[in-house]
Amino acid sequence: MKKSLIVLLMLALAVSMVFANAAAETGAGKKTVLNVMSFTDEVPKMIERYFELHPEEAAKYEVNTTIIATTDGLYQPALDEALAQGGAGAPDIYCAEAAFILKYSQGDASQYAATYKSLGIDVDKLIKEADIAQYTIDIGSRNGELVGLGYQATGGAFIYNRSVAKDAFGSDDPAVVAEKIGAGTQSWDKFFEAAAELRKKGYAIVSGDGDIWHAIENSSDKGWIVNGKLYIDPKREAFLDLSKKLKDNDYHNDTQDWQEGWYADMKEAGAKKVLGFYGPAWLINYVMAGNSGDTYGDWGVCASNVGFFWGGTWVLANKDTTKKDIVAKIITWITLDYSETGLQYFWANGTLNGEGGTKDTVASGTVMAKSDGKLDFLNNQNMFEAFVPANKYANGKNLTQYDETINTYWRDQVRQYTAGAKTREQAIADFKTQVKENLDVIVE
Amino acid sequence: MKKNGSFSYARYGYLFSIPFIVAYIIFHLYPILYTLIIGFTDLKGLGKTSFTFLANPLQNFKEILSSELFRTALKNTVVIWITNFIPQIVFALLFTAWFTSPRCKLRGQGFFKVVFYMPNIMTAATIAVLFQALFSYPTSPVNDLLMKLGIISSPFNFQVSKLSAKLVVAFIQFWMWYGYTMIILISGVLGINPEIFEAAEIDGCSSSQTFFRITLPCLKTIILYVLITALIGGLTMYDIPRMYLNGGPDSSTLTLNVFIYNQAFSGSYMYNRAAAASVLVFLLIGICSVFVFRMYRDKDQKKTDRVRRHLAAGKEAVNE
Repeated sequence: MKKSLIVLLMLALAVSMVFANAAAETGAGKKTVLNVMSFTDEVPKMIERYFELHPEEAAKYEVNTTIIATTDGLYQPALDEALAQGGAGAPDIYCAEAAFILKYSQGDASQYAATYKSLGIDVDKLIKEADIAQYTIDIGSRNGELVGLGYQATGGAFIYNRSVAKDAFGSDDPAVVAEKIGAGTQSWDKFFEAAAELRKKGYAIVSGDGDIWHAIENSSDKGWIVNGKLYIDPKREAFLDLSKKLKDNDYHNDTQDWQEGWYADMKEAGAKKVLGFYGPAWLINYVMAGNSGDTYGDWGVCASNVGFFWGGTWVLANKDTTKKDIVAKIITWITLDYSETGLQYFWANGTLNGEGGTKDTVASGTVMAKSDGKLDFLNNQNMFEAFVPANKYANGKNLTQYDETINTYWRDQVRQYTAGAKTREQAIADFKTQVKENLDVIVE
Repeated sequence: MKKNGSFSYARYGYLFSIPFIVAYIIFHLYPILYTLIIGFTDLKGLGKTSFTFLANPLQNFKEILSSELFRTALKNTVVIWITNFIPQIVFALLFTAWFTSPRCKLRGQGFFKVVFYMPNIMTAATIAVLFQALFSYPTSPVNDLLMKLGIISSPFNFQVSKLSAKLVVAFIQFWMWYGYTMIILISGVLGINPEIFEAAEIDGCSSSQTFFRITLPCLKTIILYVLITALIGGLTMYDIPRMYLNGGPDSSTLTLNVFIYNQAFSGSYMYNRAAAASVLVFLLIGICSVFVFRMYRDKDQKKTDRVRRHLAAGKEAVNE
């Protein structure tokens, strides 16, 4: 009696499981899955918003997001594997940061990217109408065909502390500070004159040598690799001397960017008060605003002495995607839609999820011309005034796909040289050794 | 020999071990053999799977052996491992002696054992981030403490100095593993027959005499285990050097496995060179292990075997 009861129960369970499974499948309505891979939640949140604004599309599609941060270099291996495996699990839309975008748009992994044209996007017309910054097109093109575009424009300017400027220069007006650091001169001479002036009053001009590195890196004439061989551009080599000059004269607080000391200098908590930081709009909104403590509202932005861009996210599509139309729609909405319902307008005005969100500079000049870039953080200064001209200086032609790794080696050697642990020649020689042995690059 | 009426269960043993063997062949044996093979080829580049054998099969191996960074990595690995292992074994033995001594009954042993073992449980990534924050420059807990105590007058950059980077990595490894070694040794000591200790006490042995002349010799096999696992763990040290300073300032904490990782995944996917380096590390560990085993072999084993065989032969002769 007990045995037969148990057998009956097990049969009932098995049968119910089979039916439940069948019911679930039909009940869900079989939405098509869209795979998205990114290293922050920015693009996934944008796609979420897109589906909120277009409910008829939301009914047909379901988004499967994978987010892996780039810390410790974990994002690229995961993305590479997902692309190499292909199939239903491969990402339809994936993102790449400025540090490694070249690998995915022009380099070793570019074979996985679909050209925007093949997705049905009228690239030439939209680029002209939206007035997209040239450098982001250059970087995102493979043999002249556009495969990726950034939604941000990350041209850099000089973000300065108004109190420090007023005390040292007598005025915190952007034009005055710009003139003091030599804006538009594409050289560091006036910068160091200003540094000496600040030092006399006990201020540092920048937080660490990393602050001037990005400006130097992107303003060089050629990249790290020329004709398959390692090439040290003279402007980048000069960084050795500029960094040493900063350290020997105590013009900075010797911090390393993205570490505790660097953040501390944003709230005047370092050894000396710092005049400013070189960076694009995202540095203000995503890094400094949160770390500025009591100095919030006491900053300004002016043109930089050396033009550069730093960072940015490019959005690419997988050439084997089976959902070409929705991918094309989403990518157009994010990167090329310059109307007031396009992502770039929301992004520039901080209205993506209602009022009062973070503002940012976007790739479309058309959008920025009709947007309001006033920020509380900058004492109500309109940041677009400084950043729009900065985008013109950005150079998208001197990058390589190995930049992330090579830059790490280079800055490591520069740090050893400025700390006095080796000579200038030894630093360059050791840098060449590291590149030669870890990368497939010819080094002479 | 199957007797009539009995049922041999032997075949079920084979059947039950098939799943493991299949999984092992697919996920362990095949990748090992594949790695061995691609060491002789030109396989490199993202997503590539086809390769050709090199005209000079040992080219990758020659390149790796003559590579400056490989030699640096080897030196660093050995130096960091020895700096980590000596304090580790000394402290582990010391604590073992204290915790298992019949004479000094320490209170709260359970609590201390848990606390000593705790660093081993924490993930390497967490510990690396913790120590990065502790030893940061210019402001950090360690720097501030040293300045307050007056030991240094201005912050010291622990992350630019090559010596301090090596010492910190060695310390982290020591701190993570001494508890584990201590637990293993204590369990070994608990396995020794307590009558031996009683006899020693009756004969009037002091604590240190008991430890050095009775406990340690009885622990020979356990110490052999600890040595071999420490050797393998030390020569393949990867997680802490990579997560702390990614090979360290100017390759000062670059260990063999971090070097291999850089070959394969730092930009150019040079799988062939990484495979060749892996094979070389494997050979190195193999040679060191053989050396350790030979050191610990029972030198009188041959004689005891011979005597046993004579006795057995003698018994048979008597029986017949």
